[in-house]
Amino acid sequence: MKPHRQKRLGIILFITAGLAIAAGLTLFALRQNINMFFTPTQVVRGEVTSGVNFRIGGMVKEGSLMQAGDSLQVQFVTTDFVNEVPVSYTGILPDLFREGQGIVAEGQIDISGIFQASRVLAKHDENYMSPEVKAALDAAGASSENYSMALESES
Amino acid sequence: MNWTWFHQLGSPKSFYALTSQWLPWLVTVMVISMTAALVWALLYIPPDYQQGYTTRILVIHVAVAGTSLAFFPLMAVAGTITLVWRIKLADMVARNAATLGAWFSFVTLATGSLWGSVMWGTWWEWTDARLVSMLFQFFLLLAVIALRSAMDDNDKAAKACALLSIVGCINVVIIKYSVEWWNVLHQPNSPVGMSNSGANGPEFWLPTLLMVVAVYLFLTVSLILSTRNEILHRERKAQWVRELLAAS
Repeated sequence: MKPHRQKRLGIILFITAGLAIAAGLTLFALRQNINMFFTPTQVVRGEVTSGVNFRIGGMVKEGSLMQAGDSLQVQFVTTDFVNEVPVSYTGILPDLFREGQGIVAEGQIDISGIFQASRVLAKHDENYMSPEVKAALDAAGASSENYSMALESES
Repeated sequence: MNWTWFHQLGSPKSFYALTSQWLPWLVTVMVISMTAALVWALLYIPPDYQQGYTTRILVIHVAVAGTSLAFFPLMAVAGTITLVWRIKLADMVARNAATLGAWFSFVTLATGSLWGSVMWGTWWEWTDARLVSMLFQFFLLLAVIALRSAMDDNDKAAKACALLSIVGCINVVIIKYSVEWWNVLHQPNSPVGMSNSGANGPEFWLPTLLMVVAVYLFLTVSLILSTRNEILHRERKAQWVRELLAAS
């Protein structure tokens, strides 16, 4: 390679490396702000100031869902399998919402420690299975990571 | 090291001649794989046990989204060649890649939104790092296109766009790892191939892989066709182009 080309290539590499490091440091410094939600553990530890709108993310605890008979009000417990936060919500839930499924809720913690959600979104994981495979796995007692984690939380 | 082959491939005339030979093959394989992948994905893919038939969106969304991440690296390589070796063909490829990349990013955002509205219960979340970094890529590609058309001097525009394309690669890394570095609504990257738990079996990854191949071929064919057009336009006064046009 001719010297002037080598020099140009050197400059490009230098600029790219510098920008990549700058971007990396910026994102590292902002990491908590980039996170979409707090985990129940963070909430229990008091990392969220009360009276502020925020998002909480976790699994809906198996057997915790309670639906009011005469309204759209629901109550459930969200968990990260270490700590739990009860959530109350009035409205239509996404189709994917079910016990043992991930959710992200937006709202505030009230004085009694219940998260009053104004929105509930359903999160899904990266594991796809046909109903037949799922049924076969369940019958065999083996199961996906998600499912066994949900079982662990029950016992 | 002998660099003549490099400069030869970089000559518009030999690129045009070479791609004339490749195109029929590429187009044939693309049409076959695209048809097969679409029929498979839209008619024969099984439903997911939780998400039902949104697996049909999955195949298209994953293939287009994955491929959309290839544009900035591609433009950065072409840009480096432009900056270091001043080969005009590299810039023509980069220019057409920006437009195509913007379309790919748009389709990624659109299919993702449709899927999200059904499964998550929302079309768009500004707080999700994966969604926002992908939107940023779309805007960055529009910026590359705008930057080029804003500058009258072709060579200066090429250099400016090359630099912006190299910088844009940082965002590709952010998109790719956003789901691992931060808490987001978007799912983590699904493993390629079946996992130990029995999830993501061949009934899902095979059609997706086929679609990825088809989409990459589509990208290649589109890029070659648009670059050939640009060669004819930029070299319209050259002897070989005149002869070519007179012959046709």
